[in-house]
This record gives sequence, structure tokens and C-alpha cells, in this order.
Amino acid sequence: MSDVRLDAIMKSYGPVAVLHGISLDIRSGEFISLLGASGCGKTTLLRIVAGLEEVTSGRISIDGRDVTALPPEKRDIAMMFQSYALLPHLNVFENVRFPLRMRKIGTRAEQMEMAAAALATVQLGHLADRRPRQLSGGQQQRVALARAIVSHPKVLLLDEPLSNLDARLREDMQVELIELHKRLGLTTLFVTHDQDEALSLSDRVVLLNNGWVEQQGSPSEIYDRPATEFASNFIGSANLIDATIVERDGRPMAMLADQQCLALAAGEAARGAVRLALRQEDMQLAASGSGISGTVRTRVFLGAQNRYVVEVAGATIRVLAANAAVYATGDPVVLSIDPARVRLLTR
Amino acid sequence: MTDRTENMLLVGPGLLLLALAFLLPIFQMLSLSVTGPSGLTLLNFVNFLGDPFYLGVLWRTIRLSLLITVICALIGFPLAYIISKVGSTMRLWLIAILILPLMTSVVVRTFGWMVLLSRSGLIPQVLQGLGLAHRGFALIQTETAIVIGMVQVLLPFMTLSVLGVIARIDPVLEEAARTMGCSFLQTVRTVVLPLSLPGIIAGSLLAFTLSASSFVTPNLLGGARIQVLATSIYNSVTQTLDWPFASAQAVILFAGIILTLIPYVRLMGDGRG
Repeated sequence: MSDVRLDAIMKSYGPVAVLHGISLDIRSGEFISLLGASGCGKTTLLRIVAGLEEVTSGRISIDGRDVTALPPEKRDIAMMFQSYALLPHLNVFENVRFPLRMRKIGTRAEQMEMAAAALATVQLGHLADRRPRQLSGGQQQRVALARAIVSHPKVLLLDEPLSNLDARLREDMQVELIELHKRLGLTTLFVTHDQDEALSLSDRVVLLNNGWVEQQGSPSEIYDRPATEFASNFIGSANLIDATIVERDGRPMAMLADQQCLALAAGEAARGAVRLALRQEDMQLAASGSGISGTVRTRVFLGAQNRYVVEVAGATIRVLAANAAVYATGDPVVLSIDPARVRLLTR
Repeated sequence: MTDRTENMLLVGPGLLLLALAFLLPIFQMLSLSVTGPSGLTLLNFVNFLGDPFYLGVLWRTIRLSLLITVICALIGFPLAYIISKVGSTMRLWLIAILILPLMTSVVVRTFGWMVLLSRSGLIPQVLQGLGLAHRGFALIQTETAIVIGMVQVLLPFMTLSVLGVIARIDPVLEEAARTMGCSFLQTVRTVVLPLSLPGIIAGSLLAFTLSASSFVTPNLLGGARIQVLATSIYNSVTQTLDWPFASAQAVILFAGIILTLIPYVRLMGDGRG
């Protein structure tokens, strides 16, 4: 069990800075997701923790020990790669035993036992004699997972391990990862570009943008209270609309460009010009009633629900709505939202 | 016309050339080797295998070819690994330097070595100057000279064979090995080396067969005293004019190479399966 401490990690390739001083404390046993779009530096950060990339400046310590200058083999970490990186010349069992053999953990008999146990954990004991290329993608992925946990590393690093799996298998693996983490309590750093994955798996989400930490917090914090425009756009892909805060009958309202008003939660101070972040799943659509009115531009059928693109005050708003009522292009509709679900961002 | 006959027509000229230029001479060689003054005989083979001199020539050929192959592999594998890791400009230069010896004629190249290795040549002179060799020391007309000359020629074959395989190894595997506790050298030994084995085997095959049958380099650098099978065959043909005996030696060389090919091909098959 260990703490991982990243202290002002900077990384640049020549004149191009990829990470701008990232500091992060990871508690022992914590499951942290590094979330961000491609090119935000999340994989670079993971590779720096692994020791596969050198930092330009900054310090990394694992369990109180400064490992900044140590090569990967001396760091007591395990990493699972996006492409799994199973050794093609070894069978499944030898692949899983490999870290024990190289780190000289235990006797030969103990190694066999540990490798068998790790394989059993991912329910692949019966495939021990196969070569990696004889396995399906999902099976290879589980072998890679078994290999990563077999030596009980201080830190488990996962580099988008689920991105090569099909949707169904990915859901199964998410559940398996959660259970495995609960059982083993390994300090885990998980890189992903998939917000659902980050929200469902981790104790804490670190949202990266262009080499900066945009926001970090528990999944519900990140989801419910995105701090910045980037965060609210990236998580849940909210609609962003410019508005002005005005007061009507002693209550704060957000006034859109066409003078329509949206009720806000009491206590929102009049801040003048703001930007509203409205999540598409938070809004309701009706044919009439109170709310802001707009016109349906497009309907996208998604199976369980529909996504409507609604034109309001010169902007477009995406709304996810159940199939109860169907609106056609050009239909006038009324949008409403719980005032507590409206997020205000400073413009 | 069906595809099948079309294919046969297309492959025909090549097969015909192979039959005329390769199979026919080999068949002639085989028949000549068992021809005596009075019909069929194995006398030529008995003469060869019963004569310590010729057995020595055979043993030297095998020994030197193995040594040359091993040295080529020892230099070629690290060299190929380095070439696969450097940037594209550097890689181009290294490959150019590597195959440069193949672009000069074998005679010119070998004369170059004769100049360097002879008694008054650069290398013995330097060794004498450093006190590492006695006066009158020369490398020319030694087995060492043959090995040096042959390694230079065969190194590109080995290196390029290994490079073709090593360049296709996913670099992520090496990174993964590092995160699993391998030092750099352990990574090379436990991951890169086993995965480049097919290239090393193919390169060894080339190096061994080419050095076992090479003639010009051993002849010029080894001199008349140090004979290998190819020079011995040449002598039988040109000096003693004993064509049947030369054929018998050629058959033995041919058989020897086929025999070494078999385990190699087996190994390759295992590597794939």
C-alpha cells in the first residue's frame, strides 16, 4: 500500500510543453482516473509515473521514496497497456509469471502458485497453455490484467485498457475492475478518454486539459459541479448558452438573448453576463407549459430515448427525452429544467 | 485458357532455366562423382574420406564456417538492434556503411585485406609497434585472415536478416518488460532476442552456406597452404585435372550444406508454429 505523490511535474518535447506542472496526491488504495481528450497529456503523465518517460522537472515519489530518477524496473509498479503487450513467445501462464521471474519474487513453486492464482482471478486458468495470439481480445485483456496484478505492485497503472473492447465486454470488464480493486485495494491510476468509464470506476477523477489539471474531485462532484466551461462541456457534454442574470419578483432569472427567462435557484447572486451549462439529460421537453420555447430542428432516434436539437434564442440546445411523446422537425416545444440543475459559469 | 494452365505457362520459363542451369549440372556432378575408369565406383569418396589431409580440409571448412557464422551473429544482432532504434537518417547511413563492402568487387576487397594483413601491412605493424606481436608477425595466410575477410562480407547478410525481424517487434513489448522488472539488458535477452530468433536463424543459414562454399576470399587470404573445400575442389579441377574427385568433393560439400539446412528449417518451422 502506498501513496503516490506527483510534485509539479513538467514535461516538454523540445519547445512543446505537454504537462505544465501537475501536482497530485494519490492516497493509498485509491482508484484515480486521469480523464481527458487525446493529446491532453494523460498518457504522458502515466508513462512518467511508470518511468517510461523522463520528467523535464518535478518530483515523483511512491511510498515516500523519491523515484524520479529510477528506471521503470526499480519502481515496483505494474502497467497494463492499451495493446496489452503480451509477450508472443511465451504462453499465457509464463506471461503472467514473467514479472515474478524478473523481480525474483518467491521461489519457483511460489511463483507458479501466485501466477495460477492471478489467472484464476480473471477466470482464465483453463487457457494457461495457450499462446497470446490464440486468444480473443477480451481474453488477452484479462491475461494482461492478471499479469499486472500478479506481483501485488505498489501502484497499478492502466493505460486505456478497455478501449479496444466492444461495448458489451467493456461493461463486463468495468464491473470486474471495480470488484478487483475492492478485493486487492491496489493504488490505481487509470487513464481514459471515456467520461462514463472515469465516473463509474474511480474514487477520484482528475480532468486534464492541454497539460493542466482542469478539475479534480469525486465522480459526483465532477459531474454535478463542473468548475469550468471545459469541464461542463467535456463531462456530460452540456449545452452552453450565454445569458444575463436579472431579478424578477425578487427571484434570480437567467435572461437569454431573446428576452426569454429561465428560473434559477434562489440565492444565485446577480453576476451580470454568465454562461449557462444545461445538461441534455436534465431538461424536459413538452408541447406547452412553462419554460422557454423553441423549435425542434432535428430528432435523432437512440432506442430508449430521442435526442432533439432545439433552436432557442438563436442557439441550439440538445435535449435527451424519453420516447413518450414524439416531436417532428418544426414543432414548437417548451423546454424546462429544475433550477437546481442549472450551472452558471463566468463568461 | 484456365487459370491453372495460365499459371503453368507463366512459371514455365523459370522452371526451364532452373532445370538447365541448376538441376542438370548437379545431376552431371553426381554422376561424374561415381564414375571410375571401369564404370560405377565409390572410390572417389573412399579416397576423400580415407585421407587425413582431405578430412582436415573438410573439418576446417566446417569449423571456419561455424566460427564465421557465430561472429557474424554476435556482431550482427546488436548492430541490427541499434539500427532499428536510431532515427531514420542515422539508419540510412548505417545501412549504407553496412552494405558498402558488397558494392566493391570481391577481388578488390580481398586485395585490400591482403595489404592490411601482410607482414608489412598496417595491422601487423601496429600490433608489433604495441609490443603485442613478435617481429615478422603476419596475419595473411592464416585462418584468422579468412575469418576476418569472410565476416566482413557476410555481416550485411546476417544484419539485414535480423533487422527485418527486429524492426517488426512492437516497441511496447520492451516497455512492458521494463515495467515488469527487466533491466535494459534483461529486456534484450528475454524479449528482443527470442523474438528475433527467426532472423538470426535465417541470417546464420545464409552466412554458413555462403562461407562453406566461398572460394575467392579463402583462396587469397588463406593461401595455398590453408585449403578449404572450395579451394580444394578448384585445385583438383585445375591442377590434378581429376574431375571425378572434384565432383565427389562437391557432392560432399553439397550434402554437408543440405544436412545443416535440415535442423535450421526445423527450427524455423517451430518458430512459426
